[in-house]
Amino acid sequence: MIPLIIAVLPWGVLVGAYGVESGLSPIETQALSLVVFAGTSQLVAIGMIQAGAGMASVLVTTLLITSRHLLYSMSMRNKVKDLPLRWRTTLGFLLTDELFVNSPEKKENFNKWYALGGGLSFYIAWNLATLAGIIAGASIPNLTTIGLDFAVVATFIAILVPMIKSQSAFACISVSMAISIYCELQGIQAGLLIAILAGMTSGYFIYRVKRSEA
Amino acid sequence: MYWVLLILMAVIVFISRYLFLEPKLPLKLNNEVLRFLSYSAPAVLAAVIAPLVLLDNGELNLDPSNPYLLGAITAVLLMLITKNTLLTAVASMTLFFVIN
Repeated sequence: MIPLIIAVLPWGVLVGAYGVESGLSPIETQALSLVVFAGTSQLVAIGMIQAGAGMASVLVTTLLITSRHLLYSMSMRNKVKDLPLRWRTTLGFLLTDELFVNSPEKKENFNKWYALGGGLSFYIAWNLATLAGIIAGASIPNLTTIGLDFAVVATFIAILVPMIKSQSAFACISVSMAISIYCELQGIQAGLLIAILAGMTSGYFIYRVKRSEA
Repeated sequence: MYWVLLILMAVIVFISRYLFLEPKLPLKLNNEVLRFLSYSAPAVLAAVIAPLVLLDNGELNLDPSNPYLLGAITAVLLMLITKNTLLTAVASMTLFFVIN
C-alpha cells in the first residue's frame, strides 16, 4: 500500500490545482476530495463544470466512470458482506482502485484492519495532496500541465507487471488497453467500463480454452 | 447548486462501491463468476494507463520521445528486473519529470 500512497500524491496535487485553476473555490475543491473521494470522477467533473456542462450530464458521466466500482464490490463481496454495517459502509467508502488491487484474492488472507489502515492512510494522503495542490495551484502557474498524472502510470505499471502470470492475464491486459484507447479516440464516455469488461471477458475466455485443453 | 451536485456525485460513487457488499442483496457468486471477477484488477489498471501513455491531445503518440511512453517502458523493465514496486514507481517518476 505504501507505494500507492506515495504515487497518489502527485495525482492529488493535480486535482487540487486543477480545481482552483478551473474557478472552484479552495473549499469547493477540497470538499470533492473529502466527500466524493474518487480521483478520475473528480477530475472529469471539474473539467465539465468549467466547460459549463449541466448537472445531469455530470452525474451520468460520474455514474459511467464510477461503475467499475460495482465490479470491485462484487469481487470483495465474499470477504466483506458478513462484517457489521459500520465496517461494510466504512470499507465501502474507502474502496478505491488502489485498495481493491491491493486486497488479497483469497478470503482467508483478507484482514479488515489491514484494509481499514490502508484505506484510511490513502484517504488522508489524498486529501493532504489535494490541499497541497490547492495552495500550490494558486501560486504556481501551469502546475496542471507538467505531467503529474504520470504518477498513476508509474504505480499502476508496478502493480500490473507481477499480475501477468498467465496467457489469460496477458490477453485480458492487451484487450483492455486496446479497447480503452479505441474508446478514448472515439470519445466514448463509458469507454473505461467497456474496456474493462472486454478485458475480463478475454481473460476468462482464454482461461476456459486453456482449461479445456488441459 | 454546486453543493447539490457534489452530494449527488458522492451518493453515486458510494452506492457503486457499497452495493454488492450488502448481504441483503440476493446474490451468490460461484467459482466461475469469481474467476471472471479475478480479471477485473488487471483490466482496470490496463484500461486506465493505456490512454495516458499512448494518447497525446486525443491522438496516438508512439514516438519514442513521448515522455509518457519512455517512462512507462522504463517502469515495465525496472519492475521485471528489480521486482520492487516502490523503487520502480519512484525511479520511473523521477526519470519522467527529468525528461519532461
